[in-house]
Amino acid sequence: MKIIEFLQKIDLKIKLASLAILLGLIAFIISDPFDNLYAKINTKELAVMVQKEVDHVNVDELADWIIKGKSDYRLIDLRSEKEFNEYNIPGSENILITNLLDGQISRNEKIILYSDGGIHSAQAWFLLKAKDFKNVYILRGGLEEWRDKILFPKLASNATEIEKAKFEIASAISRYFGGTPQLMIGEQPTSVAIQSATPQVPKIQAPVGSSSSGAKKKKREGC
Amino acid sequence: MTSITGIFSKDDAVQEKVYEPKPYSNPYLVGIGLGLVLLAAFVIMGRGLGASGAFSSLVSAGVQKVAPEHAANNPYFSEYLGDGSVNPLKDWLVFEVLGVFVGGLISGLLAHRVKKTVEKGDRISVRNRLIFAFIGGGLMGFGAKLARGCTSGQALTGGALLNLGSWAFMMMVFAGAYAMAYFMRRQWT
Amino acid sequence: MNAPFFKFDMFSVDFSLVVAFIIGIGFGFALERGGFGNARILASQFYFTDMRVLKVMFSAIVTAMLGVFFFVAFGWLDLSLVYYTDTNLIPQIVGGLILGIGFVIGGYCPGTSCVSAATGRIDGVVYLLGVMAGIFVFGEIFPWISDFYYSTNMGRVFLPDYLGLSYGMVVFLVVLMAVGAFAAAEWGEKKMAAKKSGERK
Repeated sequence: MKIIEFLQKIDLKIKLASLAILLGLIAFIISDPFDNLYAKINTKELAVMVQKEVDHVNVDELADWIIKGKSDYRLIDLRSEKEFNEYNIPGSENILITNLLDGQISRNEKIILYSDGGIHSAQAWFLLKAKDFKNVYILRGGLEEWRDKILFPKLASNATEIEKAKFEIASAISRYFGGTPQLMIGEQPTSVAIQSATPQVPKIQAPVGSSSSGAKKKKREGC
Repeated sequence: MTSITGIFSKDDAVQEKVYEPKPYSNPYLVGIGLGLVLLAAFVIMGRGLGASGAFSSLVSAGVQKVAPEHAANNPYFSEYLGDGSVNPLKDWLVFEVLGVFVGGLISGLLAHRVKKTVEKGDRISVRNRLIFAFIGGGLMGFGAKLARGCTSGQALTGGALLNLGSWAFMMMVFAGAYAMAYFMRRQWT
Repeated sequence: MNAPFFKFDMFSVDFSLVVAFIIGIGFGFALERGGFGNARILASQFYFTDMRVLKVMFSAIVTAMLGVFFFVAFGWLDLSLVYYTDTNLIPQIVGGLILGIGFVIGGYCPGTSCVSAATGRIDGVVYLLGVMAGIFVFGEIFPWISDFYYSTNMGRVFLPDYLGLSYGMVVFLVVLMAVGAFAAAEWGEKKMAAKKSGERK
């Protein structure tokens, strides 16, 4: 065909230059390649994840990680600043849902989300997953479960030996986080003798063991 | 064009085959190839290319061998030495630069361009050329560290990523080189 | 797509060194193909006789720049995870000047000197030794110049943000500038060649 012959005769340099200018023009038209507002969702993949509950973290797992000083994750508190300042799980950062996608979090970081219960954290999980964040987890039960199981573990008066043994461990953890273990008399909880009476949310300093995120190895990537 | 026989041999008569060094490839195609290598580095590693950094690691390791406390006290060398848990030579750039040597050699061998020689203009002696090479290298090493990179790292990588500092750097390299060219014309032309 | 692959833990740090080696081979191969292992060719750029340095460099930059732009547009690359150097404006400007001067005196830059040394050029080897000496001197006097080294830090400055233009617009402008530079270079080379052959007659 005549057109192909014509095209073949053009100098390579001109062809390359034209291709480059064409691509540049397309880039100019696209203008902003970052798709900020919209997300494409793989519905099947997400549904399977939800079903399998692979992205849940239990409160005792989290407590364990904090005590052990694990620092390979970021713990995000989704509540308001006021609530965050009253009490927050040690090592957590306060980020509102509306600010989650503003660039503070990288797609390849391990993120654990919590709110009061599980609703906001589940919704935030969905937002992040839709934006292709890879390692997002939800604290099962949220802060309510944390208070219930970790800060204020309860032992029923008719507990078995096994349950009593477990309670000892739970008490130690609870005290570590500044909580108060509770003994139940009938339906009423009372504190174990050592601590004082009324259960109140304690003020906690971060445990000594937890290293700051700065301890992450700085991989030099310069030239 | 001078013909070269085999590799690293000075005597034409010894070898049987005579190879003509092939002419260099189309610069635009070479540039596109280079750009694709750079793109691969971005996509695979999340970083660009580099060269001077490998030599910083090498120098730091050398200083450490000779005078460990001095190296540890110097804030610049100690940064390349890290916390001691990893050998400073076990570094991405060091391995990349080793690859550069190998890649250059392979291409040279395939094109029969490997030759033990000194590249210089006609009006300068070998001795002076080598002296200038050393001085030029020294200035380059110093300048590259000041600018956080050389032409591979800053100009190519930073240029492609539209980094302001890198573009400023690149402009200044061309400016400095053109300005100096007049004074060095004995060496090259 | 999870790119950059390494940032998503698709392979280990040790394997990344293998990747480094392979990428280096590609880099060195391309440099030698273009004649950059030869100081005379590199220097010719600054005497307008052979504008290869400009052609190769800017072709590479344009290719990679377009590649990055379109990969980001297709969602194939997360640009926020690609390493980006801070801009320290004055040290980079001064360093660039020194580097440019050193380029013409020495005839190489660190990457090309490796290729040169690998293909047998003694001046390339000597140049490399010079580079290491220069780095050593820098390190030794670093405590005295560290204030300067860290001065005018502007953080990560993305050219489109700095110019107040969109990413795509800057890409287009760079392409136009590069093509213009190529055209000028071709014209300049022809002029120089004509002048030279005119002189010989």
